[in-house]
Formats: sequence, structure tokens, C-alpha cells
Amino acid sequence: MKRNVIVFVMLVVVIMGMLAAGKYLDRNRKHGPIKLVGNVQNVAAPNFDLPALDGRRVKLSDFRGQAVLLNFWATWCPPCKIEMPWFVDIQKQYGKDGLVVLGVAMDDTESAKIAEFTHEMGVNYPVLLGTDQVSDDYGDVRSLPTTFYIDRNGNIVTKAVGLLGRQEIEDDVKKALSSSYKPAKVEPSRAEAVVNAAQAKEATQ
Amino acid sequence: MKRLLFGLASFFLAALAFAQTPGDRQPSVILAPLGNVQLRAGGAADLTLDFRIGADFHINSNKPRADYLIPTVLKLNPPEAVEVADVKYPAGEDMTFSFAPNEKLSVYSGDFSISTVLKAPASAAAGTYPVKGELRFQACDRSACYPPKSIPVQFQVTVVKK
Repeated sequence: MKRNVIVFVMLVVVIMGMLAAGKYLDRNRKHGPIKLVGNVQNVAAPNFDLPALDGRRVKLSDFRGQAVLLNFWATWCPPCKIEMPWFVDIQKQYGKDGLVVLGVAMDDTESAKIAEFTHEMGVNYPVLLGTDQVSDDYGDVRSLPTTFYIDRNGNIVTKAVGLLGRQEIEDDVKKALSSSYKPAKVEPSRAEAVVNAAQAKEATQ
Repeated sequence: MKRLLFGLASFFLAALAFAQTPGDRQPSVILAPLGNVQLRAGGAADLTLDFRIGADFHINSNKPRADYLIPTVLKLNPPEAVEVADVKYPAGEDMTFSFAPNEKLSVYSGDFSISTVLKAPASAAAGTYPVKGELRFQACDRSACYPPKSIPVQFQVTVVKK
């Protein structure tokens, strides 16, 4: 009995030591310059080039000058499903102010199933097919939903992990929209075309 | 001793959850240690697999309430001398997210058990056989969900002649 207690205490000490070492190493781990770690506020959102459900490719940089709500989600995620109708409304309400909602589906399934799901949910914004690379670039997105609010200059205003209330989402959208755009010398923008195409497709369905 | 090991594993998972900040936390499901199953050739035996889900997490039951949800499924790949005659899953408990009180989910949380019935054909040769498989599940907490995951399930069946 006494031996069991000693073994138990030793195991606890070893486990705690390993956890502390892991935390320390993680904090000091070297990351590439484009990967998000820790506090992401005011950090430039990593660019991506992802396929959308309609077949076109979409880059984050296409939307420079507009605020972006970048939502990582999956079909198997009930809280993500709860947020979707809110995002549909928010896209309608704030689209004219320069907001773009982008969904990034992290499903490991064929795109037809994702398309069917988004159609049933009445999604009116572009849905992109996520990859391990984009997840890694955005800080290893494993908890869904995870949403990044990006200002008009491509900087992250805030990051939300898990399901929030609609009012909190709208507050974060307003923060992202409140930024003023400081255009670079070259200003690529296919943003309106992509959003309009998604909305036109939705209208015809 | 088995209880001590299960308890230690549970403690380790609780410590891990405590050490992580929200959003970093990863769900865990562990299988209680299994003894050697004795089976007579031509006979059957019940085997219950006890699982423990990490605190604050839940996983979908075997019969979630919507097609888009990923059910918890036990897959066993027995050798020829052993047959998995039946797998019985517990009923899930109802759960709702606070923002969608009308959308009920069927989930497991805490401890749950899956009952199986193993059989050995009369022609099975005496011996000890490993049975390998996996439990596939998809977990969530009160506000977020995590990618589907599988954990290995392994035990031994000793077949004895009549």
C-alpha cells in the first residue's frame, strides 16, 4: 500500500514536470513569420489561396479594403451550424458597409456534401475548402468554430474561439469595419466579384 | 491495480486539460484496462468496454439526432477464431447548446460502456488471440467542437476446447 502511494506521488511529480516543460518549450518554440501564435490582435492575417465551393480560387488579399469575417467551421460542428444563419444575416446587413463573410470548411469530406449542407443552411457567402496549411498558418485551428475578424488593411482585430452570442459577433464586425483603409501602391481586388457571384448563385437557387 | 491505472490515466488527462488554455484544450477518451477474455469453442462470452471522456467534453452517441453528426462507433477486427456477435451502445443523453435550446443532441459524457458479445466457432483452435480495433468519436465542449478522432481498442481472447 505504502509502495503504491510512493509510486503514485512520483508519477504525479513526473507528469507535472512534463507538463511544465511542455508549456515552456511551446512558449519558446520558433515559428515561421506567417504563422499566428499567441495574441493575434493587430497581426497581419496570413494570406491564403483556397478553392471555393463554386470552383474558383479565392485569396484573402482579394478583399483588401474590406473587412473580413473569416470563419473556420465544419459540417459536423453543431455550434458552427448555430452561427451560420447569423452570418447570413450579418452579410446582408453589413455587406453594403464593406464586410465580407468567408467560411472555411475544415471537413475531411467531398465538397459536394459541404455544398449540400451550405445550400440547406441558405449560406449567401463564399465557402472555401480548408487545408492543413491554412489551419497551421492561422495557429493550428482545431477548435471549431474559430473566427477571425480582419480589418480593411488585412490586420486581425480579434479572434473568437467557440460559439459566441450574436451580439458579440456583431460588435466584433463593427470593430473590423471601423478601420480606415490605407491602400498600398498596388491594390488587387476581386472581392466584389466573388461575393456578388456567391450572392447571385444563392438568388438563382 | 487496474483501478489505480484507470485513475492515474484520468488524473493525467485532467491535469492536461487544466494545463491548457481555452481553445487549446483537446478532448480525450480513454479505455479502462481489459482483462483476458476466456471463451469456450462453440460458446459465447460478454465483454463490456468501459470508456471515460475527459471532463467538460461530450461525444456524439451512436445514434446522433442528425445525419451531419459523426456517431461514436466501435470497430473490432477479430481473428478467424473469434466472432463479434453483437455490439450494444448505451442510449445517449439529451443536450442542447445555450444559443439553440430547441436543437437537441444525443451525447455521451463522463463514463459510458459498450457491451459486446464474443463467440468462438466450435471448430476454433485453442489458443490466445489478439482482437484489435478502434473507437471513433467526435467530441465537443459547451462552445466548440473538435475533429473526429480514433483511439485503439485491444484485448486478448483465450479460446479453450470444450
